[in-house]
Amino acid sequence: MTQFFQQVINGLSIGSVYALMAVGYSLVYSIMNFSNFAHGGVIMLGAYFGFFSLTLLHLPFLAAFLLASIGTTILAIVVERIAYKPLRERKAPFLYFIISAMGASILLENIVIATIGPTFRTYPEVFARTPISIGPLAIGRLDLLMFVISAVCLTALILFIEKTKMGKAIQAAAYNIKACALMGINTDKVILIVFGLGGFLAGVAGVFFGMKYTVYPQIGNITTKSFIAAVFGGLGSLPGAVLGSVILGILETFVAGYLSSQYRDLIAFVILIGVLIIRPSGIMGKNTEDKA
Amino acid sequence: MAAILEISNLTKRFGGLAAVNDVSFSVPEGAIVGLIGPNGAGKTTIFNLITGVYSVTSGDVKFQGQSIVGLPPFKIADRGITRTFQNIRLFKNLTVFENVLTACHMSAQYNLAETILRLPRFRKEEKLLYEKAENLLSIMGLTERRDLVANNLPYGMQRRLEIVRALALDPKLLLLDEPAAGMNPDETEHLMNLIGQIRKDFKLSVLVIEHHMDLIMGVCEHIVVLNFGLKLAEGRPEDVANNPKVVEAYLGATEEA
Amino acid sequence: MDWTYIQGILMLAGINLISVLGLSLLTGFTGLFSFGHAGFMAIGAYIGALMTVSPSTTPAGLGLPFFVGIIAGGAAAGIVSYFIGRITLSLKGDYFCIATLGFGEATRLLLNNVQIFGGSRGWPGVPYKSTLPVIVLVDVVAVLFLANLIKSRHGRNMIAVREEELAAQVSGIDVFKYKMTALIISAVYAGVAGVFFGHYMTFIQPKMFSMTKSTELTIIVIFGGLGSISGSVLGAVLLTALPEILRAFEIWRLVFYGAAVILIMISRPKGLMGGMELTPSGIRKAQLERKARLEARAEARRLNGLEDGSADEGRGA
Repeated sequence: MTQFFQQVINGLSIGSVYALMAVGYSLVYSIMNFSNFAHGGVIMLGAYFGFFSLTLLHLPFLAAFLLASIGTTILAIVVERIAYKPLRERKAPFLYFIISAMGASILLENIVIATIGPTFRTYPEVFARTPISIGPLAIGRLDLLMFVISAVCLTALILFIEKTKMGKAIQAAAYNIKACALMGINTDKVILIVFGLGGFLAGVAGVFFGMKYTVYPQIGNITTKSFIAAVFGGLGSLPGAVLGSVILGILETFVAGYLSSQYRDLIAFVILIGVLIIRPSGIMGKNTEDKA
Repeated sequence: MAAILEISNLTKRFGGLAAVNDVSFSVPEGAIVGLIGPNGAGKTTIFNLITGVYSVTSGDVKFQGQSIVGLPPFKIADRGITRTFQNIRLFKNLTVFENVLTACHMSAQYNLAETILRLPRFRKEEKLLYEKAENLLSIMGLTERRDLVANNLPYGMQRRLEIVRALALDPKLLLLDEPAAGMNPDETEHLMNLIGQIRKDFKLSVLVIEHHMDLIMGVCEHIVVLNFGLKLAEGRPEDVANNPKVVEAYLGATEEA
Repeated sequence: MDWTYIQGILMLAGINLISVLGLSLLTGFTGLFSFGHAGFMAIGAYIGALMTVSPSTTPAGLGLPFFVGIIAGGAAAGIVSYFIGRITLSLKGDYFCIATLGFGEATRLLLNNVQIFGGSRGWPGVPYKSTLPVIVLVDVVAVLFLANLIKSRHGRNMIAVREEELAAQVSGIDVFKYKMTALIISAVYAGVAGVFFGHYMTFIQPKMFSMTKSTELTIIVIFGGLGSISGSVLGAVLLTALPEILRAFEIWRLVFYGAAVILIMISRPKGLMGGMELTPSGIRKAQLERKARLEARAEARRLNGLEDGSADEGRGA
């Protein structure tokens, strides 16, 4: 039983980081209806920004965090301007966006390989490895921080979307972006904000991911799992992305804990295929019917 | 005359809303029947139900005496019902000729293996398909535009091409969804004659949705009026035109139109 | 640059071409986008190797002739694609895409765990059987089959599905069947390509068949131009050779590659050939189409005011 709860806690902590990444996929999908595969590259660079802020600039932890997130915010917006904006202006089909995203992802990954190098890098130890004990349960300090900060970020995001005027504009754009443009909402600005928000959270997630594991140029491929979590929860739905991520995180930890860590990565894709068979729109996704 | 299409107690619900509610009517063999009603009356929904694009909630659609409810659209087309769309749906990047040639596919039987090896049956039947498509284009006066990409056709011609594409399937029943939409009076009159001509030349029955009253009154022998998913009236054009319920429904609709 | 080196590039291009041709049918002609075709290549490579590897190197190997490997690899990919199709082909556009991505990655991760094939460490000892003449022969046959298919009612039905699915359905086209046919053929092509790839490298490893590989194939099809066989051929040769030519720049070549992909998407999305074919009949068709367009435009101008001017609009994307 102790082990069970232990796994749930570990799953929650990794799941919350997935959630930070997944909302980035989902936000973009809700407005622009395509899967932004360049997001993985942005997360990867977030991990590098954080790493160098700590090792080269010797910044304190929170400052490193902030710097990484600001870096990824700018990066995500730059990607949008270069790789997607021309397509938006031409009203290109969603496929071109996906290919352009793939191109951006290849570009980001290989710029890092070419400049920083392909080697694995390990974050300096910011937190003591000794876990905090609550009764029989041991919670890693990093895990706890991951969970708390992720929860704070996600709550802030949801408050922003629910309470602010810009948030309302984002909701409206997700509902119908063409109508929004006609109503005088500056959709270009909405898209900019959406990429900025996704980018900011990608920075937070990247730093955590790097601290939890290691930093290397192909991290982006692993972040595909958070994309699957977004599909699982229902692409385009923020609560869905969070829920999907937490479930995926817990399932993964269980598979690794009870079966074999070899199958940990596989489970995500099994879930993906399962979801697509049973309920393609995901747990909380909107169901659309084709009109003739 | 026997009915080629019999619709009985047809109902379609989207959630709680009944888009088509307990509608019954039939299309006699060889007739041109008009389906009219204000916007949102459920006309196109009926087309979608007949052609299998939407699933039927309850009721029955019989074609040549057999129920076609539950069949997928391509099988219904195979039985002999084809249609055009309100918002033209051509194979946009293909030429006029290719659009028609594609739709001729049911006149050939050759299989995949015969295709990739170019066996005699493939070549023989393919030649027939080409002849058939050319022939249809010339009957319908589109030969001059045969190499034009469908997207570049003038609007009226696009509508006509859609009809030709439907005819390529040798249908027994043709469903036309607002064929005169966006046409000027000249073109509309031309279309009216064309519909009559098609019925005669291709020996088929026609069910047409239209807002142009001239066209409906001029070409249909029988008219069915829908309003809010219900059948309001049906009968000969002159009877329907004088029906007070119909006049009322239309006066309400003309203001918003 | 010596002949062996050039030959190597040509062989890789020829192998890529086989799977690109298949993907061209699925993506360019039927309008379905896959990010999992490396998965079919992997199935082909592993099943093919299973047939040909001598039992003395790997206990599972059957030591059968190469052609058995080619058939088995292609067939295995085809069979798997049938089941994938059953599950995913009724899904709408982007979800099919996501599902294929999931399939491709799942295949790779599964192979990582199959210990008889060496798991993630890879499987050495695959016999070197892929020779340039055989590859070229298979390419020619693959192009001919595809060209015949496209110029038939079956091919036209697939194109109709790409152009306007609903209109295809009511025109009596069994959309699901044609999507399935295109998927199976493309998977068989990818499987065969995988067999040749394995017997060229003589060593196969799951990570050779990652999502990056799938993306690369799709990029080649788009680069060449959707709906053009000659475009796919040009694309496969150019884009396989390009990274090799750029090899002098070593680490920067994939940076250029990524940048090139974005550049193509934002500047020339129709690809090199833009749906045209570089064959006598293809060129004639393009000329006729151009002539018809000019005539229609001239006529519209003559009737200015009488006819609406939609003929004046260019061929929209």
